[in-house]
Amino acid sequence: MSRPGRDDAPDRLYTLTQGRSRSGPDNPFDLVTLVVAECDPVPGMQSEHAAILRLTGRPTAVVEIAAELELPVSITRILLSDLLAAGRVSARHPRKAAVPDLDILEQVLVGLRNL
Amino acid sequence: MTSPLLPGDRPTPRSLLPVPLLTAVLAAVAVTAAVLLGPESARGALAVAGVVAALLLCAAVTVAAHAVLSARAARGRLEAVTQDVGRLLQERARLTQDARRQHEWLTGELDRERARLSADLEQERTRLAEDLAAERDRLTEQHDAATARLAREHAEERARLTDDHAAELKRLTGEHTAHTDRLTQEHAEEQARLSGERDRLAQDRDRLIAESARLAARLREANNARATALSATANAAGRMQALSTGMLADLRAMEDKHHDEEVLADLLHLDHRTAQAGRLADSVAVLTGARSGRRWARPIGMESILRGAMGRINGYQRVRVHSTSNIAVAGHAAEGVMHALAELLDNAANFSPPTAEVHVYVEEVPAGVIVSVEDSGLVMGEAQLRRAERAVSGESTGLGGLTGTRLGLAVVGRLSRRYGLRVSYRPSARGGTGVLMLVPQDILVEPDAPRTPAADATTTTTAPPVTATSASLTGTPAPSTPSTSPADETPAATASEPSALRLPRRRGTRPADEPARPADGVEPETHHATSYDTAPAERGTTPRATSRPAPAPGHSYAASRAGADDLDPDPVPTHESPAPGTDASPLSLPRRRRGRTLAEAERTRSASRTAALRPAPTAEETKARTARFSSFRQAVRATTPDDTAAGTGTTAGTSGTTPDRTDEPQSDELQTNESQTDEPQSIGLQTTPTTPEGDTTS
Repeated sequence: MSRPGRDDAPDRLYTLTQGRSRSGPDNPFDLVTLVVAECDPVPGMQSEHAAILRLTGRPTAVVEIAAELELPVSITRILLSDLLAAGRVSARHPRKAAVPDLDILEQVLVGLRNL
Repeated sequence: MTSPLLPGDRPTPRSLLPVPLLTAVLAAVAVTAAVLLGPESARGALAVAGVVAALLLCAAVTVAAHAVLSARAARGRLEAVTQDVGRLLQERARLTQDARRQHEWLTGELDRERARLSADLEQERTRLAEDLAAERDRLTEQHDAATARLAREHAEERARLTDDHAAELKRLTGEHTAHTDRLTQEHAEEQARLSGERDRLAQDRDRLIAESARLAARLREANNARATALSATANAAGRMQALSTGMLADLRAMEDKHHDEEVLADLLHLDHRTAQAGRLADSVAVLTGARSGRRWARPIGMESILRGAMGRINGYQRVRVHSTSNIAVAGHAAEGVMHALAELLDNAANFSPPTAEVHVYVEEVPAGVIVSVEDSGLVMGEAQLRRAERAVSGESTGLGGLTGTRLGLAVVGRLSRRYGLRVSYRPSARGGTGVLMLVPQDILVEPDAPRTPAADATTTTTAPPVTATSASLTGTPAPSTPSTSPADETPAATASEPSALRLPRRRGTRPADEPARPADGVEPETHHATSYDTAPAERGTTPRATSRPAPAPGHSYAASRAGADDLDPDPVPTHESPAPGTDASPLSLPRRRRGRTLAEAERTRSASRTAALRPAPTAEETKARTARFSSFRQAVRATTPDDTAAGTGTTAGTSGTTPDRTDEPQSDELQTNESQTDEPQSIGLQTTPTTPEGDTTS
């Protein structure tokens, strides 16, 4: 892991994205978009990009990538759009059936509260 | 004497031919007759012998005829030659006679001519002797006349000159006397004036001695004032550093907390501004000789070094980094290298057009790593290059001559001197100026080295200068660190240094501690929960009262630090503290922290059920699962539109507690804490996970 703890690295978030803080309007990534790497990390790459490519060897959701990188989701989305624009990853949305309906979520919530 | 043969000398074949022919005919007749006459039996041999004899006869006759003819020709030639010789002898006798006659005639002519010339010569000599005598008499007369005239003139001239000399002598004597009198008078006057001058100078000397004493006193005062001002500045710079470090940590935490893109953009903007302010504080601290910035507990990779440097300058978006190096800078020097690079980058960005890019190249060489910064801005002249190199060489440590624009180079000079960096300037191929910074090998660490014994040795050997620096700092009249902090701060700050030294060892022993934990049952869980509480508190996200009474004995340092952060507006040792903070659990902490809420919820709700549930999954599995779940939940909550409106929940430190039990008192606490702020919601934005979930279910 490149970042073992919060604020334990000298690089600031805006340097990771060259100052961009919001993703473009046509950004295809939402929280549950599955990302798959299309190539291996190459030397000279930004370390976050390399980490993303290593993580997404199998389909991984954007939130999971953000959690693993310990970066805010917005920043992760910007990094991912860079990789997508370069053709290094591909993204697809999970099928609708994969999202459980609200009843199931409610039951899960009740169950969690009863723990 | 053999003359060439004339054509008639050699006998021609035609003249030779008749004799052999006649002989041959006769011989043939004779042979025929002999053959006919001879006996029949010997006729053959006779014929042969006859023919041979005839042939031999013919040959002999031919040779004889040839010899006779040759002799006749030779005799004719001899007679002709003899006649020629006689003719030539007669010719020679005639010529000899002619020559003798000619000789006699010429001799007579010569005698006559000589006699005539001798007579002429004698005549001429006589005439010349007469002329000479006449001339000599005339010249002698002239000479006598001239001599008499010259003697007369000489006497007259001498008399005149003697008179002139006497008159001149008299006049000069008079003048000399007058001059001597005048000089004597002037000398007396000058002497009087000089004695007056001497008195006046003596007075001046007394006055200057007094002035010098006064100036010395003032110099002492000024030196004292300068030292005081310097230490005060160092102190203030240290505080500013600590503040900016704390603010950066806060901002980083807020950036993790707020997922609204607008808020994130504002936070990043603030982050950038704060980083620049922090660099300025670092610069002042370096120039005043205070400690430089924070120290990192682990080596910092070159990519992070470059990005850290970029993040501290204004025009970081124009910086393009070309680096494939994986090498890292040792933790104690990373901040200095970063700061020096930031100043160089800032210079390059400031002195190039606002649209031009600044390129940074990293190259590993045997002596270390060369970082070259190339801009396409102003071309520095030779003198400017020399001055810049002198400034960054760190040779002059005085603060004199510092101007606002030269501050950065002086900082680079100080840092180069401290860490052995070598900085050189040259014209860049891009049209501007190129700066080469050599990071020496002894502060570089191989990227995979941090956990090897060699890296530990590096850390421990580099640690003594740390303590030495801090000790010398605390010895200064106005120390920038612990003594200005509250009383409970001091032991924590002093404890941070040894723990920083012990860091690699503790990290190494952690795997040995890890397996013992599950056997303890519930106790390790509370242990973990406590550390989760203190870790975000140490980040200083928002003031929290719940984190203060909770410290476990094993984490008293972090707990007291967290409390100090909340109490003291001047969290001075923050720049040192992240090392111990990460030391508590350097690798597993970030992953576990996200699971903290669930763990705490379980612990506070029912300890018995937790104890019953815990042993089933291993600790690692639970952590991984809860981490993933909580990150998912946080992300979902961030996009909920009514999230900010419902954001009056608790802070991260107590987010695991149920809302119906602890939500109200904490929100009260927040309101009292943040009553001055205009928007308490935006600051206390991190809500409990239960609030959005409640929204979802409703």
